[in-house]
Amino acid sequence: MTRSIAIALAVARKDLTSEWRTRELVPALGQFVVLALVIANFGFQIDSRNAVTIAPGVLWLALVFAGLVAFGRAFAAEREQASLEAMLLTPASAAAIFAGKALAAALLLIACEAVLLPALALFFGTPLNLALVVAVLVATVGMAALGCLFAAMVARVRAREVLLPLLTLPLWIPFVIVGGQAVQVAMGASGSYNQAVALLIDFDILFVVLTSLAARFVLDD
Amino acid sequence: MSTIVANRLTQRFGTDLALDGVDLALDSGEHLAVLGENGAGKTTLLRILATAARPTSGSLHIFGLDALRERQLIRARIGFVAHAPGLYPALTAAENLEFFCSLQGIDRARVHETLALVGLAEVARRPAGRLSRGEQQRLAIGRAVLHDPRLLVLDEPDASLDSGGADLLAKVMHGRSAVLATHDHALANRLCQRTLVLRDGRSLGAGNRLRVVQ
Repeated sequence: MTRSIAIALAVARKDLTSEWRTRELVPALGQFVVLALVIANFGFQIDSRNAVTIAPGVLWLALVFAGLVAFGRAFAAEREQASLEAMLLTPASAAAIFAGKALAAALLLIACEAVLLPALALFFGTPLNLALVVAVLVATVGMAALGCLFAAMVARVRAREVLLPLLTLPLWIPFVIVGGQAVQVAMGASGSYNQAVALLIDFDILFVVLTSLAARFVLDD
Repeated sequence: MSTIVANRLTQRFGTDLALDGVDLALDSGEHLAVLGENGAGKTTLLRILATAARPTSGSLHIFGLDALRERQLIRARIGFVAHAPGLYPALTAAENLEFFCSLQGIDRARVHETLALVGLAEVARRPAGRLSRGEQQRLAIGRAVLHDPRLLVLDEPDASLDSGGADLLAKVMHGRSAVLATHDHALANRLCQRTLVLRDGRSLGAGNRLRVVQ
């Protein structure tokens, strides 16, 4: 167990170091989410009454598409560099390698969320509070697990850019629905925030366990 | 004790037969050269031996273990150099090896020793993406021997190496069993005691080096 954690952390550290040096993904994702908010801001007639209804939808749309790019790159880069095979031919377990990749991709998406959430508050005039941040972070965990699994699955396929959204989006719907509820409540709408977050945590546990079990079959031929 | 015992290894990709019933045995400390034209099945055979691919049929035992079922155990004792170096271009040469030390569960002190072995000590802090193709290949060879494997599987490792490449290969293969795929018959003759020739996925037979080369 300790060794698996050490391997996962080493893989995540490697991915984050590579991203820090190349700055390929996070600046582009940051620009993407800000542009999405700008377009939404022009596209909707935002006022103080409807902002709480519209903002969560815009938030999850931006997050879902940014996530598809972030998780897609996690394995596409490994395949392009032909480095995934070198990793898999070590005694390290595929589940630990997968966990490391998912952790790094989730952290990159969180870096993107650090731009997205203040920008959302700025453009839509919605509150930026701890409850909102927690709801988004909790949803990111399960989304990262699922997104990375499908990204690993399609990485060797030529039409991966098309296949990844087709496979991932239907399974992200629970996160969007429940996460949307949690975010709406965090922004001031009525409803049970705790219930929504508890459900998100249930989804996280379910998908983290399932993807860890499936990782071996997906990664190792 | 035999390091590798392979029986009737067959690999199909759809309707294409990449490897057709190849038998192979390699004793401990023995070096085998795999020769053949492009598309003969050398890479397919070596990927199976390195446990990077599963054969469609046939059996493979490495160190007495079933290579189709006990891959993780076997992988700790194999070093594989593939066609592509498979390095992380943003990480330095040393960092690339340090990362693989973490995956192998070995001491990072091996990194400097290995970089010196493959002649890259002076460029240890240079990103792998800025190394020449030959240096990248040396780094890939270093990664393959980092954990001191008992078996080396080398797929055309000489392709980008300079004139000192043969000496490097001799050095890393010394004291280990090795399977080397190459187009260079002179190199095969120098480094390997035995040769296996493939054509269209079939073995044309194994022999001692002189007989085949002649």
